[in-house]
Amino acid sequence: MSLRMRMSGLILDYLVALPLGCAAALLWANTFEESYYRFAHAAAFAVNDVGIVFFFALITKEVAEATIPGGALHPWRRAAMPVAAAMGSVAVSVALYLSFAHYVGEYMLEDGWVVACAVDIPGSYVVARMIFGRHPAVPFLLLLAISADAIGLACIAVLQPIGNPRPPIGLGFMVIAIYGAFALRRAGAKNFWLYLAGPGLLSWWALYEAGVHPALALVPIVPFFPHGRRDQGLFEEPAPQAHDTLTLFERWWRLPVEGVLFFFGLVNAGVPLHGLEAGSWGLPIAALGRPLGIVAAVGVARMLGLHLPARVGWRDILVVGAIASIGLVFALFFATAVMPPGTMLLELKMGALITLTGAVVAAIAARLLRVGRFAH
Amino acid sequence: MSGVSPPPNRRLATHRLVPLLLLTMFVWHAAAQQVVLPATPDSVKFAVIGDNGNGDRPEYEIATLMAQAHERFPFDRVIMLGDNIYGGQSASDMVKKFSQPYKVLLDEGVKFYASLGNHDDPGHVRYPPWNMNGERYYTYTVKNVRFFALDSNKVDQKELAWLEDALKAAQEDWKICYFHHPLYSDGGTHGSSVDVRVLFEPLFVKYGVNVVFSGHDHIYERLTPQKGIYYFVEGASGELRKGDTRPSAMTAKAFDEDRSFMLVEIGGHTLFFQTTSRAGVVVDSGTIERQGRR
Repeated sequence: MSLRMRMSGLILDYLVALPLGCAAALLWANTFEESYYRFAHAAAFAVNDVGIVFFFALITKEVAEATIPGGALHPWRRAAMPVAAAMGSVAVSVALYLSFAHYVGEYMLEDGWVVACAVDIPGSYVVARMIFGRHPAVPFLLLLAISADAIGLACIAVLQPIGNPRPPIGLGFMVIAIYGAFALRRAGAKNFWLYLAGPGLLSWWALYEAGVHPALALVPIVPFFPHGRRDQGLFEEPAPQAHDTLTLFERWWRLPVEGVLFFFGLVNAGVPLHGLEAGSWGLPIAALGRPLGIVAAVGVARMLGLHLPARVGWRDILVVGAIASIGLVFALFFATAVMPPGTMLLELKMGALITLTGAVVAAIAARLLRVGRFAH
Repeated sequence: MSGVSPPPNRRLATHRLVPLLLLTMFVWHAAAQQVVLPATPDSVKFAVIGDNGNGDRPEYEIATLMAQAHERFPFDRVIMLGDNIYGGQSASDMVKKFSQPYKVLLDEGVKFYASLGNHDDPGHVRYPPWNMNGERYYTYTVKNVRFFALDSNKVDQKELAWLEDALKAAQEDWKICYFHHPLYSDGGTHGSSVDVRVLFEPLFVKYGVNVVFSGHDHIYERLTPQKGIYYFVEGASGELRKGDTRPSAMTAKAFDEDRSFMLVEIGGHTLFFQTTSRAGVVVDSGTIERQGRR
């Protein structure tokens, strides 16, 4: 099966640097465990609260570009059905996760329910492209993944704030940060460093004060970067002649983000392969329920008058649900955001890694249901 | 009469077996009541249980032995190492798995001071008989001993900062920490929780913690001192993983054949301990001299 797409640096980094980091972490954590955990605890803030900001910024860049004319996610009103599907996905996943934690009697894991919302955006995108090619099911999946993650992030922000939150102060700083980005855009500023150094830093501090994970600092700022008139394609390499701010930002940050993804894997994926309890299966089991939740939600949404995209049928939706069971980076990120270090976090991380098998489940489902590249 | 009498050698065997049986019964009875600790009046006395709350018969039998031991060794508190209640956590479960088995001790005024394990309901920090006062981690003093009950399930910066302040401020001769996940363990199912070790141990070493009790692995184990600190695993006061120990260079003594509980006494600069099995046999005992201040 070939991946017939001009993959962006972000996707290449995702496919190379991240697995390398994860593999190194697993090896290190299961050989020289004490030195590994010392390193992982020491590096966690730099990687999870600062470095990963730029990974999320590049994801935001892709999504922001995809919403302009010609983009895969344009117009936004297409999002109604995927948002409904995401709500079904989240509801069933969270219910299954909590039921499983209750069933195995690991009540301490219940605080990690929000991790069951996480869908890995780049990972699920790659698998979807491999299965569907340029089928309308791909943007459907992306909108679903973005919506599910947005629901999860909102839950974290509201229900499980970090540190000692001071929302009014955070909100105040955020208003200033967004206004700053808006003012720069109106003043015609094209240097992305201006956006990072001013509104970007302020946004990071605003989220920190508000108790929201600061890794999302550039998410509200990146959409203000000047961008091209038409999208080159989601997660695809920008045209060589493109020199808009968003493209320059992506080109400059590609290599650092490669390092960030490697270190994200290295810092977060180190779990003992022996000794964890049954709770590690909570996330994979929650993910298994996703296709059901999505199918049910789509069914209800259709009864309410929403429509599926053209050429997307029930079998496609089932496979999309299976692909959406991949939590990986986003599940690892959510886990570190809601669970402090300790055995519970290790179980969540192990579960996040196991959800990668969703790619295999999706491929098998696609083959059995004769979907996408397996249709003929 | 012939033909009904046992052959001479068999008769001889029976002749020898009867007193042996009587002797065994005597020793068994004595062992069930056995307390090898000095039980001096002014000492600090406590019991240790871990992974106990399944509500099954062995938990009740251990509780009965503890009540018997209390008659000779009047400990006034029990420290609980987590997984205090398995499975259902309803009010009736709390009765079946805690207040009923330990009724005799509770009626005699013995206080329980819990830490929580991964199978415990986090809301049980507010369960009055466990004296946690709504906190995941807390400290209290008994004479010259300072106890620190910690949460090893979720070790956040707030807990570490609190622990450092509390350890720094402690002026007592003895500092004893207890929590669920063992920093060192030869349990084959779980083993050492190294991710938690790298967080707690530097503080323990820096501020001179003397002894650490944990559960999680369903065995009893005493480890050789690690960085000058004595570690015990007591995770078999209700649950048991028979034969689960994987002895290593750090194993000082292990017992994984049956359930067990510990009795501890601290007098001056000496800590006495004994571990008793469900059969009432003392399977480990000894003394620890307080380490010098680091």
